[in-house]
Amino acid sequence: MLFSMSRNPEEPVYNRIEEARLALGLSRQELADKAGVHYQTIGYLEREEYSPSLVLALRIAKTLNQEVSELFSLTPFKKGK
Amino acid sequence: MSKKNKIYWFEGVTEKGVKSLLTDENSKYRWLRSQKNRRILVVLMTIGTALVAAGSYWPTLKTNLNLSDGTEVVIYSVAAIFAIFAVLLGYLFLRISVRGIADAPDELLDERQIKIRDTSFRYAYYGFGYIVLALLLLMNLGPEVKLFQPEGNDGSYLIISMMFLCAALPSMILAWRERDI
Repeated sequence: MLFSMSRNPEEPVYNRIEEARLALGLSRQELADKAGVHYQTIGYLEREEYSPSLVLALRIAKTLNQEVSELFSLTPFKKGK
Repeated sequence: MSKKNKIYWFEGVTEKGVKSLLTDENSKYRWLRSQKNRRILVVLMTIGTALVAAGSYWPTLKTNLNLSDGTEVVIYSVAAIFAIFAVLLGYLFLRISVRGIADAPDELLDERQIKIRDTSFRYAYYGFGYIVLALLLLMNLGPEVKLFQPEGNDGSYLIISMMFLCAALPSMILAWRERDI
């Protein structure tokens, strides 16, 4: 592709941020404010287009009252769980 | 209570300025932020910068268009000023389109924004380096190109366009690469 530049082929980190956020009735902006990131970053995380650092994963998990292992996984989550 | 507006001298930005760009306060500029429009802006900036860089060759208009001396000077001056301001305006729009991330200091960005900013600067470094290398080779290998001459063509337009490119290239790369939200 013309002008294509390499992107780092990171191992995807699957997450349930959107599900947990909606369960708490939070908007992306509200979660972003609490986690100290831009709301776009929450969007990228929810679409699994960005893998968070451990610090950010811990902050998001704390904000959403979840354990990191409940929220993030290296394998896809099963539907409904 | 108004907090003091911190100035980041090295980046050439202010805290309020960066925060204003990062939020969606300026909703009238939202149309600029789609990937399609950002890429159009990058193409226009590239064309504009190339036109400014070629400014030193514009005097040949006189011979090509058979203009009188006075007419040529007026056309040349107006066109040059217009091209420079158009590129400057393009740069301002470009910064808005990428929320000023390329010029923002670490402490005002989150980890993903720092990452994409740093990646853009890495590509900008390569790109700018290749352009400078190409110009140096042209100066050395192709004297008939007459990039710098003691009279008339002093290379000032090339220097102006390189200054534009130096400032805008990270934002241009960011604008090109970032996906839509």
